[in-house]
Amino acid sequence: MQPSLPQTLAALGDAVWSADTLGGAPGATLASGYAALDAVLPGAGWPLDALSELLQPPGFHAEWRLLLPALVRLQQASPGALVLVGPPHVPFGPALQAQGLAVQRLLWLQVSEPQARLWATEQALRCAGVLAVLAWLPQVRAEQLRRLQLAAQTHGKPLFALRPAQAQAESSPAVLRLLLAPSPDRPAVQTQTQAQVQVQVQGADALCLHVLKRRGPPLLQPLLLPVRQGRLSAWLALGAKAVEGGGHALDRLTAAA
Amino acid sequence: MHWIALQPQPEAQPPDGLAGLADVWSALGWWALQFTPRVARLDDAVLLEVSASERLWGGRARLRHLLLESSQAPALIQHAEGATSLIAKARLLPGLSHTPAPELPLTALAAASPHLATLAALGCTRWGQLRALPRAGVARRFGAPLLQALDQACGQGPDRYPWLLLPEVFEASLELAAQVETAPALLFGARRLLEQLQLWLQLRQRAVLALVLCWTMDARRDTATQGELLLRCAEPTLDTVHLQRLLAEHLARITLPAPALSLQLRTVETLPRGGHTASLLPEAQRPGDSLHQLLERLGARLGPAQLLQLQPQADHRPERMQRWQTVSNATVLIANEASTARAGALNHSQDQALYPSWLLATPQRLAVRQGCPHYPDRLTLLAGPQRLEAGWWDAEPSALRDYYVARSSVSGLLWVYRERLDQPQADAGLAPRWYLHGVFG
Repeated sequence: MQPSLPQTLAALGDAVWSADTLGGAPGATLASGYAALDAVLPGAGWPLDALSELLQPPGFHAEWRLLLPALVRLQQASPGALVLVGPPHVPFGPALQAQGLAVQRLLWLQVSEPQARLWATEQALRCAGVLAVLAWLPQVRAEQLRRLQLAAQTHGKPLFALRPAQAQAESSPAVLRLLLAPSPDRPAVQTQTQAQVQVQVQGADALCLHVLKRRGPPLLQPLLLPVRQGRLSAWLALGAKAVEGGGHALDRLTAAA
Repeated sequence: MHWIALQPQPEAQPPDGLAGLADVWSALGWWALQFTPRVARLDDAVLLEVSASERLWGGRARLRHLLLESSQAPALIQHAEGATSLIAKARLLPGLSHTPAPELPLTALAAASPHLATLAALGCTRWGQLRALPRAGVARRFGAPLLQALDQACGQGPDRYPWLLLPEVFEASLELAAQVETAPALLFGARRLLEQLQLWLQLRQRAVLALVLCWTMDARRDTATQGELLLRCAEPTLDTVHLQRLLAEHLARITLPAPALSLQLRTVETLPRGGHTASLLPEAQRPGDSLHQLLERLGARLGPAQLLQLQPQADHRPERMQRWQTVSNATVLIANEASTARAGALNHSQDQALYPSWLLATPQRLAVRQGCPHYPDRLTLLAGPQRLEAGWWDAEPSALRDYYVARSSVSGLLWVYRERLDQPQADAGLAPRWYLHGVFG
């Protein structure tokens, strides 16, 4: 008698992935530090030996708050440098350090030409003394990304490519593609009551995260992720009151603390 | 004692791998030094005394296999063995490879060559026959050197040579087969010189810190006839693949004024090779280049000023709290958590959690309409002001700022400041200016 289809599939084990479940990542992963995000990522975290793409609209930045918990954990686990290839602004050490990052171990490569960025990224991936690479690649073609993906896979390094949001329609060899955007607008602050202001301020800073590609079924709904650390949120809430009432925010913060 | 004699075959005159050494014998000698420290050149043969190093190579048969088949000899060679150097050398002659010593012809003994005719007239053509003659008579008739050579050949005299030594400073040159027009093409020649360098480094147990590549250019052009490139490494290296990559990066930036004709490679600084501690655990050895090598390669192409590392500084002005300076010390970059935590404690305070993670290199002036900053549309001030008054002790205008956290519908949270006016400006009726200074990334 022929075995039924589910039995056959069960016998094949991991070799067959059914498209309606979240794929287990073949390589190691690193928890992102956000439970809601881990729940939608295959392997429950960032892939440690692959290219992940983060797409952001121009002028909007959310890379640090999204990646910092994972990067901090990575730094604590093993020695090595964290390489930034062509970041758009100056990374502000004191702020990053306060969030737990060992800023002395950052290596900033100041490159602007697209070719040089790719080259430097690939070189960094090859190096044994490098923990992870964050590369800002405003202009890159799919075949160049494929090369980087292969390098990341071969050398077992996490590579995060930061690209503009226009690239979301292009094909990409990245195993994970996320589109980051500010959360949708709410009515202006002035019309709200005091209690609503607080809620609004915290909600307004949430990150709207579209999973464009992952090893698993597409995620139809964007994920609303509160990715701001508690202290800044608290300060913002107090500060909103202060701006409203015209008092001094720092005084209130010390009183509240 | 066991001797191996090697002789390059005449058709192998342009030697292949170790090109650029003075001749094929020194190339062969350098190569043979890998197997035993006792290498000497005698006439047109290279002699190796291997009894002391046989064990290292796993026995005589294995060593012979290595010499003749596995490793790449620099030239096609003939080979013969014997208990003394002269027996081994004599057996190089065709058809004599297994002849016992007394049966070897006197033509194979260099010291006997002036007397061959006389000896032949005596009916003496083999080593054994010459040895059978009375020693005193031979010494009187043919001189002491022949007797000494015969003693040495038969193992009754000392078998000593001036052993081949490697020079203190590596220096090798190479005539290029064709004129080379562009600097990157010099790499092909340089690669062969680097192969020699690697051998030299291995044999002398040294690691190179700096080396110079020189090239001679066509004198018929009215330009410089010499060019040189100094290559310096951050840490002593034996890895010629790394050196080759570095050389490629540097050569890519050079333009040759005239075609190059020959190349020369010379070490400037070498250090004794330190042994390194291998780990017992396999996972501790991660594959890939070291960070030093990465930094050198990146620095060679991008320029060393583009590789930056953070240095915290004590100042209240955000733009001066840190300095991104050229990477000087790769060990800091790979240091483990404990040491960096200690170093980082200097500048640590809770308030820094409220700083943005991106700072603009120069504050960007914001448009102000109806007293409110716009970027690109109206900003909502969420928190602030945080007042800063610092730098009045500096030559440049002091920083009088009120920082706010603002929200833009496009860019998320921003860190903006309003420049506070000092008294004369306020009296003049100037409007305060707003600047964007950071982005909460």
